[in-house]
Amino acid sequence: MLTFIARRLLFLPVVLIGVTLLIFVAMSFLSPYQLVSTYIKSPEELKNQSLDDLVRKYGLDQPVHIRYMNWMKNLLKGDLGYSVSANMPVTEAIAKRFPATLELALFATIPVVMGGIWLGTISAKHYNKPLDHFSRVFAIVGWSLPDFVFGLILLMLFYGVLGWFPPGRLSMWADSIVLTGDFVRYTGLNTIDALLNKRLDIFWDAVRHLIAPVITLAYLWWAYLLRITRSSMLEVMNKDYVRTARAKGLTERVVMNRHVRRNALIPVATVSGSMVLGLLGGVVIVETVFDYKGIGLLTATGAQQLDYTLVLGTTLFYGLLLVLINLVVDVLYAIIDPRVRLE
Amino acid sequence: MVMKKLLRNPLSMAGMLILLVFILVAVFAPWIAPTPANYANDPYRVPRYGWGSNPSPPTKEHPMGLTQGKYDIFYGIVWGTRTAFQVGLIVTGFSCCIGIIIGSISAYIGGKFDEVVMRFVDVFMSFPFLIAAIVITTVLGRGLDKVILALIMFRWTAYARLIRGNVLQVKQEEYIMAARAGGVTHAKILLRHILPNTIFPVLIQASMNMGSIVVTASTLSFLGLGAPEGYADWGQMISFARNWILGTPTNPLAYWYTVVWPGLAIVLFVLSWNLIGDAFRDIMDPRIQG
Repeated sequence: MLTFIARRLLFLPVVLIGVTLLIFVAMSFLSPYQLVSTYIKSPEELKNQSLDDLVRKYGLDQPVHIRYMNWMKNLLKGDLGYSVSANMPVTEAIAKRFPATLELALFATIPVVMGGIWLGTISAKHYNKPLDHFSRVFAIVGWSLPDFVFGLILLMLFYGVLGWFPPGRLSMWADSIVLTGDFVRYTGLNTIDALLNKRLDIFWDAVRHLIAPVITLAYLWWAYLLRITRSSMLEVMNKDYVRTARAKGLTERVVMNRHVRRNALIPVATVSGSMVLGLLGGVVIVETVFDYKGIGLLTATGAQQLDYTLVLGTTLFYGLLLVLINLVVDVLYAIIDPRVRLE
Repeated sequence: MVMKKLLRNPLSMAGMLILLVFILVAVFAPWIAPTPANYANDPYRVPRYGWGSNPSPPTKEHPMGLTQGKYDIFYGIVWGTRTAFQVGLIVTGFSCCIGIIIGSISAYIGGKFDEVVMRFVDVFMSFPFLIAAIVITTVLGRGLDKVILALIMFRWTAYARLIRGNVLQVKQEEYIMAARAGGVTHAKILLRHILPNTIFPVLIQASMNMGSIVVTASTLSFLGLGAPEGYADWGQMISFARNWILGTPTNPLAYWYTVVWPGLAIVLFVLSWNLIGDAFRDIMDPRIQG
C-alpha cells in the first residue's frame, strides 16, 4: 500500500508541471502588455511606471524558458497577480470565495453518491421490470437536461412561484449578522459556522439557499451513477460466488448488500474522478444561475470581463485541486480494490 | 443489422424521429422562419421588433413571443438549429480527425513516443472541459469561432485515447505481421489494415457526443462567452431569459416563454442523441443483454 502511494506521489510533480505548462501556453496567446496585470501586485504599481518599464521589470521581453521560470517562481510564492474585476489580488479572491464552493460541493457529493447508488441498486434488483424502465427513462432525460436550463426552471418555480429556495448564499438579515464581530467565522462554511455559533436560524437559512443549487448539481450525476451502478450490479449478479451465496441459503437482502453491491461498487469508484471533474465544471454554471458567490461565479464574471489574470489564476487553482483529488481517489480505489495495487 | 435493432427499440425510434425533425427544421429554416427584408444580408441575426428591453408575450406574428431586447424567439430557435448542427458537426469532425491521427500514430509507433503522447493527453484531460473552454475563450476573445476552436482543442484527447486502445489491440494481430513481412509500408498498414478495423467504434462514440458538445457550446453562450449578441443561438436565448425568470410581482410566471421554448429546443436536441446513443450502447455491449 505504502509503495503504491509513494509511486503516485512521485508522479505528482510531473502532472503539476504539465498543468502549469498548459496554462503558460494559454498565457502566451496574450501580448506582454496584456500580461503585465498577471504580474503586478497592486494597482499602485501602474501609477509611476510606464507599461514598457513594467514589461522589462517582470522580464516579459525575455525568451520563453526564462519567462516560464520567472512565472513559476511567482507561483511558488503564491502570487497570481492582481484581478481587475474582483479588485484584489487573485490569491486573496480565491481564498475568500473557496469556502462557499467547498460547502456547495460537500453538500452535493453526499446526496449524489448515496442517491445514485441507491437508484442503481433498485434498478438492477427490478431488472427489466417497469421500475427499471422508469429509471432508465429518468436517467436519459436527466442526462439530457442542461444544468443551466434545469437550474433556471427550479429558480422560476421554487423561488418565483413558491418562494422557498432563494438565490445567493444567505438572506439579507442573516448576512448582516454574519458580518458583525459577534459571529465568529471558523471555517467560512456558513452552515458549519452557524452551528458552531449556535445560531440555528442562520443554519437553516444557509441550508435553504443550498437546496436548489445542490439539486441542480446532483441530478445529472444521479442519472450517471444510476446507469453505472445498474450495469455493474447486473454483471456481478451472474457471478459464481453470488450463486454460491444464494445456495448457502442467505437471504436476498444479505446477498444483494454484502455480495453483489460491494463488488459492484468498484467501477463506480473508477468514475468518481471524472465525477469530481464534472462537479467542478458544473459549479461555474450553478453558481452563475443561483448567484451563489463562490469560485465558479468568480471565474464566470472574470471571463465575461476578459479578466484573464483572474481566469488563469482560478484555472490553475482548479488544476491543482483536481490533481490532489485524483490522488485521493486513486488511493481510495486501491483500498477498495486490492487488485489495483498489484499492477 | 444495427439499424434494424435501432428501429425496433421504441426509445431509439423516438430519438431518431426527433432528430429528423431538427434536421428538417435546419434545412428548411428559410421557409419556416423567413428572414425579414431588412435583415436579408445576415439571416443569422435574430430580428428585433420594437425597442423596449422587456419581453413581450406570444402573439400571432410571433408565436413564441419576444425575449429581452425584443428578439423574436421563434426565429432564434429555428435558425439556432442550424447553429447547433454547425457547432456540433465542425467540433465533432475536427476533433475526431485530430484524435484519430494522433492516437493511431502514437499507438502504432508505441514505446517511449506513445508514453509521452499519452501523458500529454492526460494533462489536457485533467481540466474540466467547461473551465478549459472558458480559459480559451477568455484568452482568444469572444465569438462562435473561438468557442468552436476551444471545444476542438479539448475534445480530441478523448478520441485519441479511444482509438489508441483499439489500435494497440489490432496491432498484435497476425495479419498485420503478415503485411509487414510482405513488405507493406507503415503508412499503408496503418491506413489500409489497421484503421478500417478500429475506426468505427470511435466514429459512433463521436457522433453520440454531438448532443453534449452542443450543450457545452450553449453553456458558454449562456455565460456570455459565446456567440455575439443577437446571433441565433439557443444558449444566448436562455441567457436573455435569466433576468426575467422571476416574472412580475403579481405573476411570477409572466415571462415563462423566454426560458421554456429555447430550453425545450436544447433538451429535445440532446435527448434525441442520447436516446439513440443509449440504444447503441446496449446493442454494442453484449454483457448487458439479458
